[in-house]
Amino acid sequence: MYVGIDSGASATKTVIINKNGEIVSYAIVPSGINFKLSSEEALRKALESSRLNLKDISYAVSTGYGRALVNAKYVSSEITCVSRGIHKLFPSVRTIIDVGGQDSKAVRIDENGRVLDFVMNDKCAAGTGRFLEVMSSILGKPIEELSRLHFKSSKPIKISSTCTVFAESEVISHISQGSEIEDAIAGLHEAIAERIYNMSSRIGFEKDLAFTGGVAKNQGFVDALSKKIGVAPTLPEEPQIICAFGAGLAAIKKHKENV
Amino acid sequence: MSSQRERSRVLQATRKTGELILEYFSKAWDAKAQGKPIAWITVFTPVELLRALDIYPIAPEHFGAMCSARGVALGYFEEAEKKGYSQNLCSYSRCGLGYALSGMSGLMPPPDLLVTFRNSCDVYVKWWQSLHMHLGTPLFVGEAPYVLTLEDLDNYVLDYVVKQLEQLVKIVEEKFRLRFDMERFVNIIKLSDRASELWLETLKLRRSRPCPLGGRDSASDIFPLVIMQGTEEAIRFYEELLEEVKKKVAKAEGIIENEKFRLLFDGIWLWHAFDLIKYFEDRGAVFVYEPYSEAWAHRLDASKPLESLARKVLAMGLNVDIDLRIERFLESIKEFQIDGAVLFSNRSCKSWSAPQLVTADILSKKFNIPHLLFEADMADPRQYAEDQIKNRIDAFLEVLGET
Repeated sequence: MYVGIDSGASATKTVIINKNGEIVSYAIVPSGINFKLSSEEALRKALESSRLNLKDISYAVSTGYGRALVNAKYVSSEITCVSRGIHKLFPSVRTIIDVGGQDSKAVRIDENGRVLDFVMNDKCAAGTGRFLEVMSSILGKPIEELSRLHFKSSKPIKISSTCTVFAESEVISHISQGSEIEDAIAGLHEAIAERIYNMSSRIGFEKDLAFTGGVAKNQGFVDALSKKIGVAPTLPEEPQIICAFGAGLAAIKKHKENV
Repeated sequence: MSSQRERSRVLQATRKTGELILEYFSKAWDAKAQGKPIAWITVFTPVELLRALDIYPIAPEHFGAMCSARGVALGYFEEAEKKGYSQNLCSYSRCGLGYALSGMSGLMPPPDLLVTFRNSCDVYVKWWQSLHMHLGTPLFVGEAPYVLTLEDLDNYVLDYVVKQLEQLVKIVEEKFRLRFDMERFVNIIKLSDRASELWLETLKLRRSRPCPLGGRDSASDIFPLVIMQGTEEAIRFYEELLEEVKKKVAKAEGIIENEKFRLLFDGIWLWHAFDLIKYFEDRGAVFVYEPYSEAWAHRLDASKPLESLARKVLAMGLNVDIDLRIERFLESIKEFQIDGAVLFSNRSCKSWSAPQLVTADILSKKFNIPHLLFEADMADPRQYAEDQIKNRIDAFLEVLGET
């Protein structure tokens, strides 16, 4: 068995796969402030749910922000991992848009899953999951609720500022002037969709197009981004673990190279 | 952490630049004590002319870079910010203004003259006006029109700059009762030309595989070319450097072992984060070309000293059309066998960063060369997210490894 660990800014994901690259089990836990501990917990959970032991694991590869801090034999970048993961599941995908807790990225890959080009957000966190986390706490709605409320919106508010801090006061001012919370949420989804659209335009939107990362679990955001791009995306069943899955695939490759 | 903070590999000659810089600043205090006028200049000001007038030039931009590299810039930024200068302003200007506003008892003696040219940079004139406002020091602002075509280097535009150089001489002669010595000036022009010649020859040797001179070298070795032009010390420095680099080339010795990727760096270096260069080098990537390193290297003709210097003022740095700049940039890809480009989008220097999206597009579409574009600030560490940038570097090097 092989394991991929994606130690992200917000969540830690581990995926256990067999030698054929099929997913055996996975776990997602909050990263907290200790990447090593959270990765150990995520691994323990994934092992438990597949009734495996640590000694069943032949090789581990890590990726994500905490990649160098967790226990793995090899580290790989998220760009390569997400590409590898998506290519294995959906070989026809040529463009990946991944929105995570602190980063958003767009990657263009070829028919072999090789990275041709990529862009990532600049230093600002406005186009990332962090933005939605901040907003959900301001609006007093848990992050899981955002999607349901999004689809209740009839007239999304227009958020002109792309800065998290300014957008926050803009949203508050809209709400105090009588806007509905669902319209604020739909407006926020549109605002980050627009930012990600602008960033990704630099590498283009060659089909097929896949969305990955934790934020792709939010159907409201997926709806806003697909409308903005004008393409129906390929969505993995669990978009948040693709990077970890790709790291697991790298573990198979690395293990073969080392044996 | 200790290995992280370890310095990147440098040449023997480069190791001397730290001392050279400190000595240059300390001699400025000596000059001041002897009653010589000190000029604070922006780095695209013709130091050759001032030197011929026996004026000692120093550049607050150097000071900003030095403070940032030594981790002491923050205090000056705060000093300027307290007086209302926005954090969105160029960090060199904030550092320089902060120093001016806090007593000027450090590296730079207070100025007797402020000289800037409206070439290259959008901030210079306002920055120098602010210094003038705070310190009351006499101010000279020269203007070099933006060079749209290379013909501008020979037509009325050139005459316009020549006249301003003459005017600068006249003003300084009257103000400080100094005499411009033509013979001395011609000799300074010769020395300046020689230093540029040596430096350009050295840079050419970076075409060799493995590359004998890395990013850390080029970032430091540029100092004498900017401010010490027209001195014998500058020549000695560049002679020594060239000698060392030639020897390395003859022995096929690279600045790093196992050179895997040859990179272009576009922008001003991140003075507070020099270990980024090492981060690249540790992964087999070496910087072989930077437009920055060529920005001050201009050959001069001693038979037409003033004209030739005016041409340099016009063609320096960012004062030439973006298309011409991009052209040179792209030439370098073949010349230096570049595998990938690192484009540093500098929050402080929009004149530099503006064309980067266009260049990035050409790099991928026309040359199929991967690039990495990241945002930070050259001198302000508060605008720098180390993990985020390293994350992108890792991804970039992986992509390079696959191509």
